[in-house]
Amino acid sequence: MHIKSFLNQHKGITSIAILALLIGFLFALPRLGLRVYYMHILIGVFIWIIVASSLRVLDLSGQGSIGHAAFMAIGAYTSGILSKYLGWSPWITMLIGIGVTIIIAFLVAIPFTRVRGIYFTMVSLFFGIGVLAVNQVFSKYTGGYSGIGSIPLLFGYNKTPYYYFCLALMLVCLGLMYRLEHSRIGLTWKAVAQSHTVASSIGINEAWQRILCFGVACTFSGVAGVAYTHYYALLTQETFSFGTSINVFVYMTVGGAGLFAGPIVGTSALIIIPELFRHLKEYVPFIFAGILLLVLFLMPQGLAGLPNQIRRWYEQHSKKTKPAEPVDEVAKRAA
Amino acid sequence: MNTLITCTVNGLVLSAIYILVALGFGLQLSIMGIFNFAHGAVYMIGAYVTYGLSVGLGLNQWVSLLLSVILVGASGLFLERFCFRPFKSIPTRMIVMAIALIIILETTVEVTLGGVTRAIPAFVPGILRAGFISVDAERILTFGIGAVLLMTLTYMIQMTKIGQQMLAVAQDAEGAALQGIDTHRIAATATVIACGTAALAGSLMATIFSMNPFMGDNILLKAIQVVILSGIGSIGGILAGGLIMGMLNAFLPVLTQASIGELITILIVILILLIRPKGLFGYELF
Repeated sequence: MHIKSFLNQHKGITSIAILALLIGFLFALPRLGLRVYYMHILIGVFIWIIVASSLRVLDLSGQGSIGHAAFMAIGAYTSGILSKYLGWSPWITMLIGIGVTIIIAFLVAIPFTRVRGIYFTMVSLFFGIGVLAVNQVFSKYTGGYSGIGSIPLLFGYNKTPYYYFCLALMLVCLGLMYRLEHSRIGLTWKAVAQSHTVASSIGINEAWQRILCFGVACTFSGVAGVAYTHYYALLTQETFSFGTSINVFVYMTVGGAGLFAGPIVGTSALIIIPELFRHLKEYVPFIFAGILLLVLFLMPQGLAGLPNQIRRWYEQHSKKTKPAEPVDEVAKRAA
Repeated sequence: MNTLITCTVNGLVLSAIYILVALGFGLQLSIMGIFNFAHGAVYMIGAYVTYGLSVGLGLNQWVSLLLSVILVGASGLFLERFCFRPFKSIPTRMIVMAIALIIILETTVEVTLGGVTRAIPAFVPGILRAGFISVDAERILTFGIGAVLLMTLTYMIQMTKIGQQMLAVAQDAEGAALQGIDTHRIAATATVIACGTAALAGSLMATIFSMNPFMGDNILLKAIQVVILSGIGSIGGILAGGLIMGMLNAFLPVLTQASIGELITILIVILILLIRPKGLFGYELF
């Protein structure tokens, strides 16, 4: 009982402690003898968490996108092509790749403010497909369907530095997104999402806020893209296809788009759980679809909202089954 | 000259297929307000059911085509009740539902039949010749079936009672319900029609070209393009949009490279979305 009341009183401290333990565990994993294969899976999880969380940033301002992988592709291809064909250091080309993503994201965002809701989703879908088509047109440089391979690596063939690099990158990105969401800007975006007319009426420049949100979200996507390039060293048409964008959207929604932890939990669950059933080979997609159906029909807040949901269900259930105790008995026990 | 005629015939055939798929997609969009991304998978399943009945069980091809349309159409009842109705008002969940459906259907086909490319034997083998023009008879048949079906559907929607009820629900679901129209029944009818036409389009496409478990992804994008081009809620618009899209897809790869043609089509769609979101002939949904 003492522990429970302590936990209730110091909720903030407890959650910070749990978070610190989790991060410490992730940093200690390579020392604890993590197999190289699992390290590879975890690096992928870190990169996709950045993308899914950045999609949630975009979702904050009410812009649901199903073409988010396109911006990942812009950063990834810029950095990959420059470092492979010009022989520049990956560290410099990564920065250039992020820069190009920022410029294109802001330029694209300006016309995109014309449309809202489902029409925005459609525009983002066709923008994603358009980027793939551009990739096809310039297949001399981008390799088209077969893609470009043997892109210079960041740290050679040892996976441990990549693990630490991607973990640190993910934590920095998540920290920035968390600060952003809880700052004045994040609140403004939420206001725009709820009602653009009300937001405009209290002096919020809706178009500029949406451009800003789009630019910021796509920048994070580009960051994940350049990290992807110099780890996997192979970019193909399939890497950033429509399917990838949809997958990222599914990671976010299944985890729970309403919660900051949503994309993190969703990405981890949807990559790691099917990986655990790897021995089922071609039946693995059924596991993926099974998780989706389970979440759709049973968890309205997504995977990350499950603890809340269980707590509420438990409270309601215990109230219904147990009648309230008479007041004098409670008083007697207290005395 | 010969190229021109070949391209026109190809364009007409492609238009017929696009219109059949886009009509189902557009019906579901305007009546239920859902973006059914699983429509491509239904199209694929239709082709595979026809293949299984005709090649696997050795039934008459026309009978198997009819059975496929009926079976897949009937499965629309299940889809509407258990997959679409609970998520009608939540677009994000609807997208996830559609993805789950696509994964389940595609993986089922891939696991049972393998991912190899197959084809249904032609319904009408042979080539029609008129002077110096020669056209695949199968393509003429596809266009004919498509045109007849479209006329029937257009008649049904414009003239019959249930079609008028559909239009009413598409315009204002609440108002229609207040007039005593059973919106769920209309939604089920629309889904059955959509699944049936998709199955027919898939079977016809599999005889002309080929089929594999992922054939639905491409046609789905084309259907969305047609619906965007023509606008939501107008059947005549979908006919015109499908013709434009089919002709673009038939002529552009010949005039330029295939990849540049694809890019031009997508640019047109993006421009239409940005400049005139309600499409060329439709009205704005939201």
